[in-house]
Amino acid sequence: MEKTKRKINWKRELKMLPGYLVVIVYVAFMVIMLGWIFGASLSTSREIFTGKVLEFASGFHWENYVTAWDSQNVSVFFGNSLLYSVVSCAGVLLISAPAAYVLSRWKFRGSRTIRILLVIAMSVPAIMIIMPLYTLAVKWGIKGRILLIALYIFMRVPYTAIYMLDFFATLSHDYEEAAAIDGCSANRTFWVIMLPLIQPAIITVTIFNFLSVWNEFFMALIFTSSNSMTPVGVGLLQIVNSMKYSGNYGGLFAAVIIVFLPTFLLYLFMSRRIISGVTAGGVKG
Amino acid sequence: MKKNKTLIFLFMAPTVICLLLMYVYPVIRTVIMSFFHVESLTASTSDWSFNGLANYFKIMHNAGFITSMKNFLAIWIVGGVFTLALALLMAVILTSGIRFQGFFRAAIYLPNIVSAVALATMWVQYIFNFDYGLLNQLVTALGFEKVRWLGTDAKLWAMIAAFIYGSVGYYMLIYISGIEGIPKDLYEAATIDGASKSKQFFRITLPLLKGIVKTTITFWTINAATFYLWSKLFSPVQTEGSTIVPVVYLYDTVFGGKGVIERDAGAGAAVGVVLTLIIIAVYIVTEKLLKSSDLEY
Amino acid sequence: MKKLLSMILAVVMVLSLGAFALADDPVEINFWSMWNEGEPQAEVIAAAAEAYEAETGVHVNIEWKGRDLNTLITAALEAQEDLDLFEDDFNRIGQVDAPYTYDLTEMAEAAGYADHSYPVFNDFSIKWAGYLDSIVEQPNVGGVFYDKDAFAAAGIEAEPTTWAEFLDACAKLKEAGIDPLAQDGAYTNFSFYYQLVRHLGEEGIAELRENGGWADSEGAVAAAQEIIDLVNAGYLAEGAPDEYPASQNKIGLGLAAMVVCADYVTAEVNANTGTEVNWGLFNYPSVEGGASVAAYMGANSLAIPAYSEHAQEAFDFAIFLTTGEWGQKLADDCHQIPADPTNECTSLPGAVETLLAADAPMTWCGELNTHPAWQTMKDMFTELFEGKYADGAEFCAAMDALYE
Repeated sequence: MEKTKRKINWKRELKMLPGYLVVIVYVAFMVIMLGWIFGASLSTSREIFTGKVLEFASGFHWENYVTAWDSQNVSVFFGNSLLYSVVSCAGVLLISAPAAYVLSRWKFRGSRTIRILLVIAMSVPAIMIIMPLYTLAVKWGIKGRILLIALYIFMRVPYTAIYMLDFFATLSHDYEEAAAIDGCSANRTFWVIMLPLIQPAIITVTIFNFLSVWNEFFMALIFTSSNSMTPVGVGLLQIVNSMKYSGNYGGLFAAVIIVFLPTFLLYLFMSRRIISGVTAGGVKG
Repeated sequence: MKKNKTLIFLFMAPTVICLLLMYVYPVIRTVIMSFFHVESLTASTSDWSFNGLANYFKIMHNAGFITSMKNFLAIWIVGGVFTLALALLMAVILTSGIRFQGFFRAAIYLPNIVSAVALATMWVQYIFNFDYGLLNQLVTALGFEKVRWLGTDAKLWAMIAAFIYGSVGYYMLIYISGIEGIPKDLYEAATIDGASKSKQFFRITLPLLKGIVKTTITFWTINAATFYLWSKLFSPVQTEGSTIVPVVYLYDTVFGGKGVIERDAGAGAAVGVVLTLIIIAVYIVTEKLLKSSDLEY
Repeated sequence: MKKLLSMILAVVMVLSLGAFALADDPVEINFWSMWNEGEPQAEVIAAAAEAYEAETGVHVNIEWKGRDLNTLITAALEAQEDLDLFEDDFNRIGQVDAPYTYDLTEMAEAAGYADHSYPVFNDFSIKWAGYLDSIVEQPNVGGVFYDKDAFAAAGIEAEPTTWAEFLDACAKLKEAGIDPLAQDGAYTNFSFYYQLVRHLGEEGIAELRENGGWADSEGAVAAAQEIIDLVNAGYLAEGAPDEYPASQNKIGLGLAAMVVCADYVTAEVNANTGTEVNWGLFNYPSVEGGASVAAYMGANSLAIPAYSEHAQEAFDFAIFLTTGEWGQKLADDCHQIPADPTNECTSLPGAVETLLAADAPMTWCGELNTHPAWQTMKDMFTELFEGKYADGAEFCAAMDALYE
């Protein structure tokens, strides 16, 4: 990212022309895609199917948005996803932060095994675990929101723990020693002193957890037994299908935009942090 | 620092429970299940009957599974090569001192935060459409005949292309972080020695990125093996041979779908095990191949 | 701390007392529907549920599951999920869900269901499950759906009944500048199955499915050859076989004249293209020396889990919804054939009579779709329409190769 304004050195820029071209074409394509989706959301089905999306011959059909919002539980889907994301993010932190801290501070019997297991767990494909989880859920009679939230929390624990572990490891032991001298218990030291010190990491990892739970699809498809608890990922597919079968393709794309907007806005404000988060988390794998 | 056993225990317990409940137990049970004849997921273990390798033989002889594995290979190899190469190219461009790199990075990563349902719907209904799709408009503008992008022989590639486009951003960011971690003086020294940009790339950047390339290969493998939603969205009415992937096959086998009369959870478990073994094998191979020459910097 | 605990306990007790008091509430049935909110079917069903509650006091709790219900329902029934009524293809209810379905025979007799249903569907249900296990909600008939205006424009006076007449109609349409036949990739399996049935009948196909030998079957080779000739004559709409629903939409856009499908295609095309096509339907053409002229018939039906504690209420609601006043509303609002033959079919005149007269209808791809290589077969059928095979013999040899 540029910190100071550079004077334009045309010779230098010209040398990079091919580079500019590549990224510009790539991004232009995306702009066309998003523009078309937006155009389609304001068109009739007939216009979409005759390729006249960007002509708006019959005007702008804003009512597509009204239909998409009204005829469907979009607000319920949003509410659910928000609930799942917020509660899971908090739950994940509560579980993995203490563990990450302990693992970064002490060696004890099994600590190496746990570390390795956490790394492996990050790479376990969902299909390897989903069948026994289904069986367990049925056997123990757990279902609904609680089940989904529990699954989401557990799903994000390994990544979050590993991510935070590295940050705790960089903290000096002086903090704890000073706290101990002041008579602060180890438990209190962690929550009051150590945890706030890695706040930037917490924010980044929480954004990731949030996006990942918000967009989650597979588990929600299998484990939700009621519309009232469907999150947006699966909900959007339901809307898309319903609009498709009833031939309202304008409403279909309006729904796509409605669902896309919140994440897009979040991204607009946080893209810098998200990007630095990926780059920091990626290397550690 | 003093060890505080109670604290360690209390702080570790939830994570350990999570690992056991969500990962260790299910993985072991899935592996065991793959050696038994199990019709339904909710069947009690007393109804399981030992089957040896029969589930594995069954899926190996099933045309649907074989097609899904071929498609998986195409996604993994072709998709992987293109995604990782494009990501690396973008990463090099966006670390070369280009203007607006912050914007470009954010824009290229954007598809990763959009719901796949939205993206795939757009690709199918617009980009690849035969009559008015973007690609066919380009093709006709260039004076060629319209192409059936979603016909049986092109559909898989169309789907892979759409998937690649959305995936590049993520891997690009990982490469960027790697490149930015390479000390600048290495390049400065090379420039003084008169090494060209491409030479610098192959002599400095690439060798030093080996560790990261390894990571991205593993990530991509997991991604390709768990490919599900895009396949579902590219065959909207029912599962199609041209886009079927192992997870879709597994889902249909375990839960039953249109036209699937006989369900078989044991065979589904075997599919899961095969995919996991592939991921492990890829991990070990890349680890071996790219290990020795990993430079320290 | 103790104070807090006792307060929580008190609250819990009060709540649980409340729960006991509520337990005496009127009956509630849980209904898992294959429709999505916003679809016309869903709107009628929701309104019917309200009317039913007003009349009987039974509350119907509807979960809109969408089409994915058919992948979830069997697992849900096994897990004894709390549901009393669900929708699915009657074929799947009869063959896959049957072990978990309620025997409706007695209730149906008491309700006089025989007079409000089509024998053909009931017979199938009994044949598959051993007893009546489903109540039809949305009957479907298949065949060649066409734009009457396009036929008139091309000067076609009579609906074709034989393959030769059909090709003749195609030629006239092409001459008039209208693409004869729309075909989406998603339905190539259905179209080709029709052609196979004409030559071999469903039993003949079932035999091939079991033992192979496609190349030695004259009928199979001829059926494939006829499709290849149809394609080579240029009778398919531009771009066909296309991605659903692009090709079928061409009828609404006035670019194509016919499509082989089931009756829901008419409502879909009308909605997608914002037009009212002047629809007609004729039976899939027969072939010389063929084995069958059966028309496709199927249904989406309602069934009750065997473990349901409110089977009678669920059954009553199913009848309430599919027959009489609400059955008529379902047919009218959703442009579908009434499930109750005493009602009138507004979307497709004559459909009720056809269904009542039917004795041996064709199923959706019969048993072929349970073949282990079905996914590959479907692709091959699409390839057939793409013109990938030189002749029928080559196609059938490729089919046989799947059996090795």
